[in-house]
Amino acid sequence: MNRSIIHLNIADFAVAVERVVDCGLQDRPVIVAPLGSARAMVYDMSEEAYQCGVQKHMPLRAARRLCRDASILPPHPDRYERAMRALFKQALPYSPLVEAGDVDGHLFVDTTGTSRLFGPPVDIAWRLRRQVKTALGLDPIWSVAPNKLVAKVATRLVKPTGEYVVGAGEEAVFLAPLPVWLVPGIERDDLNRLREFNFTRVSQVMALSLAHLQVPFGNRAHFLYEAVRGIDPSPVLPAGRQRPMVISDHDFDEDTNERKVLESALYGMVEQAGRRLRQQRRAARRVSVALDYSDGVRCARQSAAKPATANDLMLFKTARQALNRARMRRLRIRHMRLTCDRLVFPPAQMALFPEERQNREKQDCIVAAIDRVRSRFGRKMIQVGRTLAA
Amino acid sequence: MSKYPCSIRVGTSGYSYAEWLDAGFYPPDTKPGAMLQQYAQQFSVTELNYTWYQMPRAPAIERMRRQVPPHFQFAAKLTRYLTHEIDADQWRVHAAQYRDGVAPLIQSGQLAAVLVQFPPSFQRTPENRHYLAALLDELHGLRAAVEFRHASWATERVYVELERRQTALVSVDAPGLKELFPRLAIVTSPDLFYIRFHGRNARGWRSGNMQKQFNYDYTEAELDEWAEEKIERMAGQARSGLLFFNNHVRAQAPKNALSMMRMLVGQGLMR
Repeated sequence: MNRSIIHLNIADFAVAVERVVDCGLQDRPVIVAPLGSARAMVYDMSEEAYQCGVQKHMPLRAARRLCRDASILPPHPDRYERAMRALFKQALPYSPLVEAGDVDGHLFVDTTGTSRLFGPPVDIAWRLRRQVKTALGLDPIWSVAPNKLVAKVATRLVKPTGEYVVGAGEEAVFLAPLPVWLVPGIERDDLNRLREFNFTRVSQVMALSLAHLQVPFGNRAHFLYEAVRGIDPSPVLPAGRQRPMVISDHDFDEDTNERKVLESALYGMVEQAGRRLRQQRRAARRVSVALDYSDGVRCARQSAAKPATANDLMLFKTARQALNRARMRRLRIRHMRLTCDRLVFPPAQMALFPEERQNREKQDCIVAAIDRVRSRFGRKMIQVGRTLAA
Repeated sequence: MSKYPCSIRVGTSGYSYAEWLDAGFYPPDTKPGAMLQQYAQQFSVTELNYTWYQMPRAPAIERMRRQVPPHFQFAAKLTRYLTHEIDADQWRVHAAQYRDGVAPLIQSGQLAAVLVQFPPSFQRTPENRHYLAALLDELHGLRAAVEFRHASWATERVYVELERRQTALVSVDAPGLKELFPRLAIVTSPDLFYIRFHGRNARGWRSGNMQKQFNYDYTEAELDEWAEEKIERMAGQARSGLLFFNNHVRAQAPKNALSMMRMLVGQGLMR
């Protein structure tokens, strides 16, 4: 069946949200970056600032030199998350398949088969944009295409404002004249490799067969072969069933890079996440740690939990690995986020060797006992020594 | 041979609707990309609605044009940036972009008309009158046809001005609601008359839902009234005529359009 995917893309999302809050920021250059840090990096910028040469992750000092009259604001992630939730709500009446991006102003809506109720997808997209503009004051770029990949390229193409409709069967013709970097999923390493062959346009890569692509790209060849032809069978995830995960956040009172303090905070977060996992009768197969450095740069790393677990002690072991991977800079850290995802039901398979099995059982007993004490007497009645050290 | 030297074409407003597959107008499993070719086997003209939502782009228009025989014609709806979401500073730029977008149809002689459809909120005020005059100047040479949705435009002075500009006034068949532009059959251009059949679903029209608004099946008597009483007279006053059915929801549009074609052939107005 031919699909119709709408993609809404609010350009410069953080700036767009800040402009709703303060309309005095309209039509003037705006840079969002953490203030009060000597080495702050640009988190987001308006089109006006971009035209002056400002780019994301650029040192704020350099950005200031390029765009001297820019208003500089600190990031407000909570505002952006609220705006994202509101955007999501606007799309829900049109389809059960609505997928939001990671607080970046991107939204996919699968309107396949809904035309009998709501009219042609292009009309839904237009109405959705009008609703978002009226209700939230945000003006999304929109596109309608047969899949998510092409829809995303289409909105990238008309940035900062506009719309684009790509008909079914037009995917390859649409992509052919575009630069390869516009195609989502084709990352820096792929681009460097393609540049070595002097390939910069989609049409040039499209001319290569799968066998040709396999020579330099190996396993990546299949993805590249399909991506440049606009083939993307990935579904729009159903609303409410999007990548179940448990998230825990921690803001440090003072920015820090001390291992003890970081690990202490991490354990506290693991306890929160672990408790929620156990309440949901789930176990995580992956644990990610995202660190926000004091200059505004975010670094996220992950580690696999084998086997899947909801036990604090096991989760901490995995989370600490992820933390060590993410803590690669010598700068202080402002904020830490722990994400437990790839959730499964707790594995029924027991450990093969008695010693390991007993160890796991012991850990489960400890955590269960702590849970019982806390549920009866309060969370602070029993604490792990590690969390007291901070 | 037709009785009059007027070339009449009948089609539908848009052609790419999934509902038309269910209704059997298109063979099952017809891909959206193949619908225009199928459509062109039965009709010689269509009204492009997507050019209202999206500014037309010459390469896409050219690809679409190549799917149909050279005698097939398109009436393209004017972009919403010039009718519904007018930006006082940018509209001339948008008009130029629109002209560039439909250029392949102009060059191949397949642009039958540009439909300038205003919303009900576009009432006859001095400001809107000046805008309309400036817009028609800007669209000069594009064979514009103007559709009003508000009754305030139904005055003799408007018809006289359109006649002076040799611009077609779109005759609309819509529910007989007081605030809507009335069901008239006035020819204001010796070059073109243009009729749009939206259906007469009064309750649906007020619902704000397109699927209800355009859900209507014309009876033979209703179509006959147009064919016998109005179209015959209009054909005597213009060199060409375009008739479009917009009641697309359950594929009534192609069904009614084919009925209308049979009637006009029977009357000797079409071949």
